Amino acid sequence: MTVDVPAIIVSGVVLASLYAMMATGLALVWNTLGIFNFAHGIFMTLGAYIAWTISDEAGLGWGLAGGFAIAVATMIGGGLATYGLLVKPFQNRKDIVLVVVMTTLAGSFFLENTGRLIWGPRLKQLQRVVEGTVQPLGVSISAHELVIIISTPLILLALYAFLRWTRTGSAIRAIAQNQDSALLIGINVPRLYALSFALSAGLAGLAGALLGGIRFIVPNMGSEPLLKAFIVVIFGGLGSLGGTIVGAYVIGLIESTSTYFVGIYWTNAVMFAIFIFILIFRPTGLFGRN
Amino acid sequence: MKTLVRPPVIARALVLIALLAVPLVVEDQYIRHTLVVAMLYAIVAANWDVTLGFAGIFNFGHLAFFALGAYSAGMLTKKFGFPTWTGIPFAALVATIASLIVCLPVLRLKGIYVVLVTYAFSQLCYQVILNQTEYTGGTFGLVLVPPLEVFGYSFRSAGNIPYYYLALALLVVSTVYLHFVIRSNLGRSIIALRDNEAYAISRGVALARQRFLTFGASAIFTGAAGGLYAQYLRTASPDMFGFAFVTFTLAMLLLGGIGTMWGPIIGAFVFTFISEAMIDLKEWRWLIIGTLIVVVLRFFPAGLLSLVEQIGERLGRRLQPAAPVPAPERPGSG
Repeated sequence: MTVDVPAIIVSGVVLASLYAMMATGLALVWNTLGIFNFAHGIFMTLGAYIAWTISDEAGLGWGLAGGFAIAVATMIGGGLATYGLLVKPFQNRKDIVLVVVMTTLAGSFFLENTGRLIWGPRLKQLQRVVEGTVQPLGVSISAHELVIIISTPLILLALYAFLRWTRTGSAIRAIAQNQDSALLIGINVPRLYALSFALSAGLAGLAGALLGGIRFIVPNMGSEPLLKAFIVVIFGGLGSLGGTIVGAYVIGLIESTSTYFVGIYWTNAVMFAIFIFILIFRPTGLFGRN
Repeated sequence: MKTLVRPPVIARALVLIALLAVPLVVEDQYIRHTLVVAMLYAIVAANWDVTLGFAGIFNFGHLAFFALGAYSAGMLTKKFGFPTWTGIPFAALVATIASLIVCLPVLRLKGIYVVLVTYAFSQLCYQVILNQTEYTGGTFGLVLVPPLEVFGYSFRSAGNIPYYYLALALLVVSTVYLHFVIRSNLGRSIIALRDNEAYAISRGVALARQRFLTFGASAIFTGAAGGLYAQYLRTASPDMFGFAFVTFTLAMLLLGGIGTMWGPIIGAFVFTFISEAMIDLKEWRWLIIGTLIVVVLRFFPAGLLSLVEQIGERLGRRLQPAAPVPAPERPGSG
């Protein structure tokens, strides 16, 4: 049996790119707010649906660029709304971690069924950003996938630059490091919480719109990437954005390799087993600090 | 801190008598069916409350014990041809073993990590079950599970009335059992661990051992309920691992009040009937349930039941202005 290494790598990197976009958003919210957003997957789904409604002929037909822009913008608004309704009212509670798991779970349940009401059960597919296939380095790959592979590092780089060099970005990092001190030096903590949430939701919406060109859009399409993003975030280590990104690529490649050899179902079982082992033996993740 | 919301003995006795009488009085199969489902949910929710409410462990894998119970009972009797009465005890056994396995990583972890590891465990079970199509029916679920039969007497006879009484018996036994668990040393120590972990440990409570026992204790009747569920509905479906089931049960717990003995049981009954009444609303039903969870968490963290209690206390005080009993504030637990 010949092993198709390039195919494994390409599909792994495509998956990794989407996981990276999902997981960085999740990690950003975790670092800043200290909560896990179980509604993160539904942002992805809604991003895909909205991009479809705006761009598809059966919807408004405003073109793909409009679809992407409006999807991301709506999700930023959705992130703000989610923060305001499901997180902010509970922030002074001692058991906030558990409460927010429950509220975001309920919120995601709400939105998933709203999606079912609006878009129905029929499968939808988005146009691809670029049609056709290309053959860089002798590997045949669809142009759309290539766009995903190339644009993800750029987007994450932009996020990194924002967090590293802008005033607002430093303020977000300051909150992540020490919330009380950040408050003391006059940082508007609630506003930056909202901003982190909005950024994270926008990234998820973009990931959804990109995934909508490869997979069918269904009301629960975000749940699997969300679970993978959990794995990535834990693998890379909570509290480390760099670790999250490396984690995404490692997990994406493990997944594609494993899918190639043992099939999709066992792969998922393997992923969760890895996840549990990491949580047992190194709960701070491979790159996390104690 | 008051942790046991207890309806008066008379109320409990009356409800039990009413439940015993339902099959004799009500001919309607649908109401009977809804009650059976409600009783099974009540068992699951009340047992989940042991880890989530009383012990304050963020256990999101509890529904997996229920699902594993359903699958193990179904597979044992359908695929391996064991007599059907072995299904429920086997389900309880499998669920308990599973709970002890998932507890191992939980012993060392805290907070969100516990949510993740318990949820990952439930997803792992789900994926393995999808994989083993030959034994579990894969994505279609395990269908045509043999109905319960004891000494040639089928529990499906007389319009499922035997199932009704079995579910009621299981609920009563489970409730009595939980009553003793919560009042035992184990129960008191896990509440102590929840409320002040450092202090409880310093007073000699063994955190790891108590957590281990808590998980095992909460899984026995959950698994048994799963087994009965499979034999009653004659199916076990992979949906039982999904978010919808978790959200549904969570709503019952929150509605009734987390960390209370009777809250989840009352919550399960109220919620099952509310949800059945809303069945014509289709997807809107889920939107209402989602909203309800958030509203209860936001405004009634001790559960809606506590609201009834507070009103009762206020009325009581108004009637007896001489008794200066301040209403004890019950903080939301978790």
